[in-house]
Amino acid sequence: MSNATGQHELEKYAALWEEAQGVQGISLGQDAWRRLKRNRGAVISLIGLVSIALLALLTPMLPLQPPQRVDTERIFAPPTFAAAPAVEAEKVDAHFGIKGGINLLMVKIRLAVFGEWSVPSICGTDELGRDTLARIFWGARVSLAVGIVATLVSLVIGVSYGAVAGYFGGRVDNVMMRIVDMLYSVPFICVVIMLVSILNDKAVKAVLEEYGINQIAIFFIIVGAIYWLTMSRVVRGQVISLKNEQYIEAARTIGASRLRIIFRHLVPNVLSVVIVYLTLTIPSVMLFEAFLSFLGLGVKAPEVSWGLLVNQGFSVITPIKVYWWLVLFPGLALAMTLYALNFLGDGLRDALDPRLKNK
Amino acid sequence: MIRFLARRLIWFVITIWVVMSVSFLLARAAPGGPFTQERKLPPHVEDAWREKYNLNDPLIVQYVNYFVNLAQFDLGLSFKMHDFTVNEVIAAGFPISASLGLMALLFALTLGLFAGVVSAVRRGGFWDLSLMAAATVGIAVPSFVIASVLILLFVFTWPVFPAAGWGQPINMVLPAFCLGAPYAAYISRLTRTGMLEVLSQDYIRTAYAKGLSTRTVVLRHAMKGAMLPVVSFLGPAVAGIIVGSLVVEKIFAIPGLGVHLVNAATLNDYTMMLGMVLVYTVLLYGMNTLVDLSYRFIDPRVELE
Amino acid sequence: MHAFGRKLFSLLVVVLTLFAAYVAVSFDEQPAADFTFINGTEIESIDPAVVTGQPEGRIIRSIFEGLTNWDPKDLSPTPGVAKEWKVSEDGRTITFFLRDDARWSDGSPVTADDFLYAYRRFLDPITGARYAYQMHYVVGAKKYNLGDSKIGDPVEIELIEPPKGALEFARGEVVRGTLRARDKVIVDESKQIAKIVPYDQSPPKEESKQQAIERRRRTIKRYTVDVDGKTCHFKVGRAENRDLPLAEFQDHEPARQLLVDFSTVGIRVPDPHTLEFKLENKVPYFVKLTGFYPLYPVHRETIERFGYPQWTHPENVVSNGAFRLGSRQIRDRIRLVKNEQYWDAENVYLNTIDALAVESANTGLNMYENRQVDWISTVPTAIVPELIEQERPDFKRAAYLTIAFYRFNVNVKPLGDVRIRRALTLAIDRDRLVKKIIRGGQTPATSFVPPGIAGYDSPTCCEYDPEEARRLLAEAGFPDGDGFPKLTLLYNSSDDLKKIAESIQYNWRDTLGVEIELANQEWGAFLTRVHSMDYDIARAGWIGDYVDPNTFLDMFVTDGGNNETGWSNEEYDDLILNRIPAEDDDEKRMQLLRQAEEILLREMPIIPLYYGISSAMVRPYVKGYHNNILNVHPLKDISVDQEEKARFLSRDDRSRGEGEGR
Repeated sequence: MSNATGQHELEKYAALWEEAQGVQGISLGQDAWRRLKRNRGAVISLIGLVSIALLALLTPMLPLQPPQRVDTERIFAPPTFAAAPAVEAEKVDAHFGIKGGINLLMVKIRLAVFGEWSVPSICGTDELGRDTLARIFWGARVSLAVGIVATLVSLVIGVSYGAVAGYFGGRVDNVMMRIVDMLYSVPFICVVIMLVSILNDKAVKAVLEEYGINQIAIFFIIVGAIYWLTMSRVVRGQVISLKNEQYIEAARTIGASRLRIIFRHLVPNVLSVVIVYLTLTIPSVMLFEAFLSFLGLGVKAPEVSWGLLVNQGFSVITPIKVYWWLVLFPGLALAMTLYALNFLGDGLRDALDPRLKNK
Repeated sequence: MIRFLARRLIWFVITIWVVMSVSFLLARAAPGGPFTQERKLPPHVEDAWREKYNLNDPLIVQYVNYFVNLAQFDLGLSFKMHDFTVNEVIAAGFPISASLGLMALLFALTLGLFAGVVSAVRRGGFWDLSLMAAATVGIAVPSFVIASVLILLFVFTWPVFPAAGWGQPINMVLPAFCLGAPYAAYISRLTRTGMLEVLSQDYIRTAYAKGLSTRTVVLRHAMKGAMLPVVSFLGPAVAGIIVGSLVVEKIFAIPGLGVHLVNAATLNDYTMMLGMVLVYTVLLYGMNTLVDLSYRFIDPRVELE
Repeated sequence: MHAFGRKLFSLLVVVLTLFAAYVAVSFDEQPAADFTFINGTEIESIDPAVVTGQPEGRIIRSIFEGLTNWDPKDLSPTPGVAKEWKVSEDGRTITFFLRDDARWSDGSPVTADDFLYAYRRFLDPITGARYAYQMHYVVGAKKYNLGDSKIGDPVEIELIEPPKGALEFARGEVVRGTLRARDKVIVDESKQIAKIVPYDQSPPKEESKQQAIERRRRTIKRYTVDVDGKTCHFKVGRAENRDLPLAEFQDHEPARQLLVDFSTVGIRVPDPHTLEFKLENKVPYFVKLTGFYPLYPVHRETIERFGYPQWTHPENVVSNGAFRLGSRQIRDRIRLVKNEQYWDAENVYLNTIDALAVESANTGLNMYENRQVDWISTVPTAIVPELIEQERPDFKRAAYLTIAFYRFNVNVKPLGDVRIRRALTLAIDRDRLVKKIIRGGQTPATSFVPPGIAGYDSPTCCEYDPEEARRLLAEAGFPDGDGFPKLTLLYNSSDDLKKIAESIQYNWRDTLGVEIELANQEWGAFLTRVHSMDYDIARAGWIGDYVDPNTFLDMFVTDGGNNETGWSNEEYDDLILNRIPAEDDDEKRMQLLRQAEEILLREMPIIPLYYGISSAMVRPYVKGYHNNILNVHPLKDISVDQEEKARFLSRDDRSRGEGEGR
């Protein structure tokens, strides 16, 4: 008789054991990814963004018309399926605006594969006869680069600053945050305007060129330097709430240095917040770039960016004649990208919310 | 509370001093002076102008003089608009920009809150989806594109509004709308998120269980909690409206301060530029302080530092 | 406390809302003006002596009036304050006879003394008038304006304080005498005398701009002047140094400046209604010049009573033009009101005019199409081709005495070689540039002086000749552009200029194999670089101030203020500075001018691109608007047919691209 109960006990424990095996501890990352996958909108956005990025990267290899070729026969042409003029291989540097390096290689591959053919002007041409579709693609490279790099710059500065302030707390935190407050009150547009004109000064430019910093790089830095403030605040708040957690206490007990704690333990856990903030800052940066173009301070010719395109389009919406394709297509490209970024950011925020873990 | 304000005031003075000093130096560092123009000035003429504006003093002297005057609220003469002092220009333009900005903010708040609440309450429904889609337009499309489309539609296709200018209340509608639209969009999303969170709380369920109508529940109980993220957004919103007003004022030819700012910076009108920086800094700082104050009133659990 | 704070906060919100609403509602409910137009930007000032721009000119021409006016059709001089004038045989003396009924807006008569006052002020170095050089044709004016003087000259010394009984902002008391001696005292940091130097000593060669400013700050000029037989001493300089209690300054009376006596300047007032000019040389266009707004009179009493800038405010200003300054809202509008005191008031048709300060050309166009304004003088270039195609009758284009060109910095290698300059010039297809790229109806330039000046024929140049261009380039040592250094083409930020620059960059690459980089800068920074010759090739433009080739050609004399290319040619200088002014015969003079232009076009320190065009849109019910090559449209000649306007406004069709009822 004791045998039968023993067997029952064993089976119970066996069942428990199996159940226990089944309950896997999953990391925050895996959990988040699983939840993200369920959010269809976010997934579509992610796929869309990745494809845009890929296309932007591979633009020189795509069979597009040269973005800087001036064609006075086709000024302000509305969208059409008529065949595009042939690509002139000897004028690659002039028409594509590339000097060499990997871009040149990609264009050569493109010429080898597609020859002289290019996609017709289905998005019309602008006032110098340049194909809008090509310019949208080439502009994507600049706009996305600006968005990503500037945001990364702000991330590096903001995260370090905020983490240090949040962890050290007390006096240090006070002073650091006061500085942030002060900077918050500065009307950045003034600073940007002044900085741009200073940095455009020939002497200053010459010095910077020596260090390999060109116009666009300056732009990245300026924009990045503006956006780190909010990032630092967010990170600081997060660090403050995290620093009293058990594992931080444990690390301290072991004797880890403060810097190590900050960068090895706190920062990775802050990353989720940072990622969300990142995807929501990139749109702001891209819009800011468009805004600077409006004031004439943004990306300069012959480079092309979405901000520049949208601005050019804006100046041709008049009651006399509306060259609608010059606004619609770049505007759509910009809007869809920003929309996708926002959607993805929202999805990420939902997915990474620790309160929803394991739901 | 008094201590809080006092401390804010001290930091205000420090902030102004730092910001103005940096701007002062930046302004002087920019190439070109205020007197460069297409036809080169004969040296003796340029000298006369520099003397008039005390630009021949050593930098330190100019710096000190500027701040001494600043303490007496004298911002100097504009270099480009010879007939007016900077004070007069600001006095003329500030009320206009301020009222436009306020209108835009009010519009953004009312529309944003309304849209956010409706979306949250009718989650997943037709209204939710369409309002959020509209919000996306506000966020993803630059304001000047929205402006030009609106002008095409509501000025020329259906002649409802004047194209530009200032002088009647109707001149304010389109500009305020364009200026406020992106912020309405952000606020609606923030409200929706905050509202959704609040609505899932226990005390809301209790309220419903008690038999209160949706309206009472939402307005009386849920709003306050949902407001917090909106309120903290107000600071950046005001900053954004100030920046955005540059674009809107240019498109609609509104005689506010925005145009002065860009022109002053590009034309090296030192005094004007510093005046603009001062005005904007004061505005932003005041706004941030107000926002911090309002935290306290909305959520008594929040302690003022 | 908590509840109180909350109430306070809500009160604040309510107050702010009310404020916004109040501003929104408290708009100036002024009735619409008879005529509204867009003036471009907020004007710098209404003081004729100080400004140089066209928007300023439009306003100043309306509220002030000079000796002559310009006929709106052909710009010939018509009577203004002067009812007639007499030019002497040798062309060097011009006498103007003022009318008796010319009045200021406060009722007082306009007299020749008003003009004398205005001109002295205009030439006073302290005023810093930028157009002062336009009066240098008058005997002694240049010397006075530059503050030059010699020992033995009759001089006037302006003291610090106005004379007793004068108005608050009057000029300092003037003491007249003969200059006997002078020197300069240089003060050092410790406020002691560093040294005393002769007055005419030239500054050290190796001196930076900062050092020069510093040195001038520390310099006090001392003068010894014979006043009515008595020897007097004066000291002039910055107050902080001038008023030091040093032995060297004892018995020296402080003064603001010392100039040659204004009586040495060739302007005479024989009686209150006669004004006589004595010119250095015959100047055929001098009478026309008196209709140019820097030479307009200003009201002495107003300036002396209110000082600058108060006297320019609408409630203070007194003017003598067809209109007076009604009100002025910064960056919004300037309202002009008919001046009942104007001598020709019965022929002024408009009662109120609004000049709007709208900067964006697109916004201006929107307001025009929306029937808010009656005239815009800037049309967005992107839609000009469309307007041409639609043949809009209210779109007015006219030849404009202006040229768009590029400057070469001849000090930059290899631009010093004239063959290279010619090669670059000949390689530009101007026809294509104008027809396909700019598309505003401009004309390709074939000379530097634009056409339209009666009696003058420019030599021709610059036909598109890629063969010759390539040949010249090869001859100069750069066959097919090999080895040609990468120069920079500088222009100021503007979409239109960018188009042109890109197209030319493309031209040079295509035709010559020459690589050029483009750079653009903000207007202020751009100008600084050009003025300091810190460029390789720079974009430029020039509008004629008056209808004579000289306004274009005198730019390029050696070291001329507006030369800025580093180009210098002795023969050219001789022609422009000596032979042409001395030539009395009009026809011969034109020939000499043509000779000078030939030299210019042979040497090519500039690349002429195209002649500008003025474009404007004017409603059909606006009468009295005429095209002319200086794009000047005096408001006193403009009238509005109110009936026609009412009919026009009530028309229903507001479709885009509407015709004007042909």
